[in-house]
Amino acid sequence: MKPILTIITLWLFPSGLFLLTAGLLYQWFDRKLLALLQNRIGPRWFQPFADTFKLLSKEEIIPEGVNSFLFIGLPVVALAGALTAALYVPMAGLAPSYGFSGDLIVVLYLLSLLTLCTGLAGTNTLDRFSLIGATRALTQLFSYEAPFLLALLGPAMVAGSWQIGTITAYAQTHWLILTQPLGFIVALIGLMGKLELPPFDAPEAHTEIVAGALTEYSGRGLALFNLGRAVELVVGLTLISAFYLGGLSNPLWFLVKTLALLFIIVGLQALLTRLRIDQTVGMWWRYGTLLVLVQWFVMILV
Amino acid sequence: MGVFGTMFGDISSSLFRRPATEKYPSERREAPLKLRGLFHLKVEACTGCGLCAMDCPADAIQVTMLDRKTKRFALNYHIDRCTFCGQCIESCNRDAISMASDEWELAALNKTSFLIHFGNSTDAEQSVAGTPEGGTAKPEHD
Amino acid sequence: METNSPSKGFTIPIGPQHPALKEPGFFKFVVDGEVITGASVRLGYAHRGIEKAAEQRNWVQDLYLIERICGICSHIHALAYCLAVEQLANVQAPPRAQAIRTLVAEMERIHSHLLWMGVSAHEAGFDTLFMFAWRDRERIMDMLESLTGNRVNYSANLLGGVKFDVDAAQAQSIRSGLDYLEERIRHYQDVVTHDEMFLQRTRGIGVMTRSLAEVMGAVGPTARASNVPRDLRATAPYAAYSQFPVKMILDTRGDLEARFEVRLEELLESIRLIRVILNGLPESELTIRLPRRIPAGETVVRLEAPRGEVFYFIKSNGTDKPERLKIRTPTICNMNSVVRLAVGHQLADAPMILAGIDPCFSCNDRMVEVSKVKDGSEHSMTWQELRQYGIDYYRRLSK
Repeated sequence: MKPILTIITLWLFPSGLFLLTAGLLYQWFDRKLLALLQNRIGPRWFQPFADTFKLLSKEEIIPEGVNSFLFIGLPVVALAGALTAALYVPMAGLAPSYGFSGDLIVVLYLLSLLTLCTGLAGTNTLDRFSLIGATRALTQLFSYEAPFLLALLGPAMVAGSWQIGTITAYAQTHWLILTQPLGFIVALIGLMGKLELPPFDAPEAHTEIVAGALTEYSGRGLALFNLGRAVELVVGLTLISAFYLGGLSNPLWFLVKTLALLFIIVGLQALLTRLRIDQTVGMWWRYGTLLVLVQWFVMILV
Repeated sequence: MGVFGTMFGDISSSLFRRPATEKYPSERREAPLKLRGLFHLKVEACTGCGLCAMDCPADAIQVTMLDRKTKRFALNYHIDRCTFCGQCIESCNRDAISMASDEWELAALNKTSFLIHFGNSTDAEQSVAGTPEGGTAKPEHD
Repeated sequence: METNSPSKGFTIPIGPQHPALKEPGFFKFVVDGEVITGASVRLGYAHRGIEKAAEQRNWVQDLYLIERICGICSHIHALAYCLAVEQLANVQAPPRAQAIRTLVAEMERIHSHLLWMGVSAHEAGFDTLFMFAWRDRERIMDMLESLTGNRVNYSANLLGGVKFDVDAAQAQSIRSGLDYLEERIRHYQDVVTHDEMFLQRTRGIGVMTRSLAEVMGAVGPTARASNVPRDLRATAPYAAYSQFPVKMILDTRGDLEARFEVRLEELLESIRLIRVILNGLPESELTIRLPRRIPAGETVVRLEAPRGEVFYFIKSNGTDKPERLKIRTPTICNMNSVVRLAVGHQLADAPMILAGIDPCFSCNDRMVEVSKVKDGSEHSMTWQELRQYGIDYYRRLSK
């Protein structure tokens, strides 16, 4: 019984197939809403699926001079990290499949694994655009990681535990967005930085450096990176809505809360211009850290 | 210090408005009356003088005079060479040429439909000299 | 590709194919981290041999060839050609034709500046402004289509006049379109000058002082944003501009924000001018007859395209084909300033600085004869020699 349950958990639900499908559907929601905000029609619901299948069926071109082992392996590791992170968060409103004390840090690390893999993939190739994109991705990682982590630790502090399951259970009775609004703002914008959504898409600014770190990727590698991004989107949204928006008690609330957060994120995407990488770093180390420290100060005092 | 999100009004009202995209081909707007579409020749007004062919910048019109006394001529028009500039209308001093404003969807899957014959002679089709069939050939200038 | 050691510097190629460029051009930026330390440009990818091709078509056919040098400034090119040929033939187009030509030129300016604003916003990453600006551009293109018959490449000009007339109903529809556009443009002015994050990408970037602009020979809104008073519509009026004068828009700051403001103000000025023209169209016929063989002579025409000064030199030898046609478009004057200003800025600012001059690569590719021989003598090639030179050049490259 246990092995079958494990297989279902890892391959079908809540990780694996369900997560991939959910990730692509959330990506569709993101693109469609952005299009509607810009007064145009967006893609139809199956567009991200079509993109993924098309990419998977194309030839993967391995450029000269790269380490092929890394080139082929990094997308797999990235996707694996994102999928594993989903096992510890309350996906689809159900309790996390696995949990142990301190798994908050593990999940955050697994989410950063995607960015690290992107950075490594960029430095692996000899293409100049990839190198600049990888540099920017890693620089951005260093800038938003600290405030983002602190913002997620805020709920952990008041809940008195480092385990996501416990924090979520605590959050179900206390709506932390009301008591820690600054932390919520930093966490939300930090999520946009982690996912490299505009205005923080300097690492993949296609009007400056073609496609950033993933310029040389095609076919299967690119498909896996895109899937990893999609999964990261769902996991990040789940985490933040679980902590700040009063926990996720059942699938309906899961859908409503994560989509509401996604709505806000897409609105911010449409409103703001892309920041240069030095402006991003400056903003995070000044305002981001300041806000979250103020939040902690208030929290400790009260 | 400026303001954040100055386009907020635009994007929030876009949610309640129809998208600005025209869903062609299921929605088709009326073409304006002055649109320069497909070339049409009024054969009874044409004398086969060839001024239109001389002035066409793309060599899309070829005129052959078959019999000056009975005014028989043959005129070939290549849709794929035409740039729809309208110079032929101005060059013609008999008002024989017009451009239809409602025929502008002229794409086709084979080249034979791109050659249109006009003329008042029964052997018009064979009479136009030096016409490569379905021509995308370079105009003979150089 | 070889890796560059840090002491040599790291070269980033923008072009010839790059998402930042709408047309091909090759920019080499030498960067140190993110800061640009050197820049160079190479053009010529859109060279089509138009000046040579024009020598083998007659005057009427050349009008349409010239129109297709560029899609966004096609009317201005055709207008310059018509004015030059009319000068050679020593005729004046009738007043109503000149007024309609001016009307279409101003509408083209509106179209061009709206397009430019969208593209610049896209280079900055502000896609929402891009989408909205291009949605409003559809409105002006529809107005142009119902007036002239085509959305781009209007073919409004004839040698000696214009092809169509503006009647009262059409004037009314143009006016209502202008009302809509004016409201939107005022909103965009507000956005561009107040949006904090957009200003972070444009304020203080690419500052060109007035003396630098004069030395580099910048023209058009790029120069006017650095307080250089160059606007041919005001200083050397052509067509109907002496009857309907234009106010020159200047700005003293010289950075990207100033260029945005100058172009947006010019949009409003164009709207005002179109309204004045519509209210005051002179009555006359529309064309005047021009002979088939234009008398021999040389003439020069300078016009103000949306991007700056366009210069035409036409030489006729009395036949029905031109002998020499020389065109100098504004982008080639402004291109040097991009290379000069980019040094010292960040790599992310380079596409913005390039977009700030409103580049039109397909306009600017011409053949320039540079005499390399040290004793000052000239070296010319025939058509066959040039062809062979090109073949040998590329054979050597691919070895």
